[in-house]
Amino acid sequence: MNEDVIFETVKRNVLEVLPDLEPDRVTMTGTLTDLGANSVDRADVVTMTMEDLGLVVPIAEFRDVHDIASLVDLLKRQA
Amino acid sequence: MKVVITGMGVVCSVAATVPSFARALREGRCGIGPVPDIGDGGPRLAALVKDFRFEDAVAARTSLPEELRQSALRAARRSPEPLKMDLVAAMQAFGDAGLHRCAPPADRLGLVVAGHNLSSGYVQDLYPKYENNPEYLPARFALHFMDTDRVATLSQVLGVKGEGYTVGGASASGNVGIVNGSRLVESGAVDVCLVVGATTDLSPMEKRGLATLGAVAGAGDAEPELARCRPFDVRHEGFVPGQGSACVVLEGEESARARGADVLAELAGYDLKLDGNSLPDPHEDGEAKVMAGAMAMAGVRPGEIDYVNAHATATPLGDEVEVRALGRVLGPAFGRPWVNATKGLVGHCMCAAGVVEAVATVIQIRHGFVHPNLNLRRPIDDGCRFVHGAAEPADITWALSNGFGFGGFNTSIVLRRPPHAP
Repeated sequence: MNEDVIFETVKRNVLEVLPDLEPDRVTMTGTLTDLGANSVDRADVVTMTMEDLGLVVPIAEFRDVHDIASLVDLLKRQA
Repeated sequence: MKVVITGMGVVCSVAATVPSFARALREGRCGIGPVPDIGDGGPRLAALVKDFRFEDAVAARTSLPEELRQSALRAARRSPEPLKMDLVAAMQAFGDAGLHRCAPPADRLGLVVAGHNLSSGYVQDLYPKYENNPEYLPARFALHFMDTDRVATLSQVLGVKGEGYTVGGASASGNVGIVNGSRLVESGAVDVCLVVGATTDLSPMEKRGLATLGAVAGAGDAEPELARCRPFDVRHEGFVPGQGSACVVLEGEESARARGADVLAELAGYDLKLDGNSLPDPHEDGEAKVMAGAMAMAGVRPGEIDYVNAHATATPLGDEVEVRALGRVLGPAFGRPWVNATKGLVGHCMCAAGVVEAVATVIQIRHGFVHPNLNLRRPIDDGCRFVHGAAEPADITWALSNGFGFGGFNTSIVLRRPPHAP
């Protein structure tokens, strides 16, 4: 699966969870926490993105995700 | 200590605010309509909230600070609809009581959410997703399935940091909440307490279960007529589920005076007693006891009660036992007070019903009328002064509002018009 597709899906869900956010602030190098997402917001973004992409990633594997780039990378490896 | 009501809010099938509820009650507007047949023999009628848009309902609270409205949107934008309705009702009452202008310290403000099993419909809606792929359950599910999510989200938005929790008593939950809220104020645990009758989102399976017990009017019928909800009529056959939320703000008379808040009514008395009975059947003894207890606490005599907002779900046994209990308590004054059933207009709002009906009672006290019992043609009792098909003017100083629940929950509250009111 194309990395851009995964990123755009993450971005769409970040904006759904945090609708007040400027869309341009969601970038590969940013973190969800810096964008204002709390722990449940972050988990929401992950489950929504997995569902949109039809992927299933065991929860434990998200331990090492620290920014949007590593989230996209993890999802890409499972795709 | 005198406990008074200084704020009210409501969202139900006939009204999105307290002033529109007052108009709807006076006009005898009924919120009951048909619901799709899902083929399970369950309810075919319901009084559902129509055209509720959370963003619009929050924006309409223009008397509240912009910051509070934004906080409501942020906290609850993605919450289930029933929580949004509770939040809007609570925001109305909060503003009505002037708590955005003058409030006690946050840890002196309490919150009682009346209700239990509030989100089963939400859980059942998500069940297919869980069955297909449990990984896709929303992360917020673990928060939203809990009744206490209502307490948590409302407290965050309204800045409540004193005592708070849910309380339950089946269909009597609303009054159970009012009794608990009053006790928090009387005991000095809080200065001001919001009591929210919570929107009860029953699942289809639960509604079918209630229909199995014969408690639901028109269940399983191909084309049930809309007038099937008939409290106190010889043709009564059960309740119609209602959707709704309501909130009252309780505080001591001194606190209201110090805050400069208008007193809408006095909560002059209450009583809550169990029958010691696990079944759904009501008991005249228990019902009479709590009505008498609430009147004794208020110091009001049977001959002084002007109005009774009956529990009256329109189940034959429930209505008849309540009328008998009223007869026992009121004695020779049995035919004196007006009696009506708000459930005939807004359906049975389940856990919220007691608070919805307390709001309806205060409205009728303040506006000097009693709302109709819309579908009452042949009353089950000739001695009881039922309102019929149109509202009647009524000078109400003392009112009784009853709430009874499956499993022997008996509650009654006495509301009094404040002495200085017109």
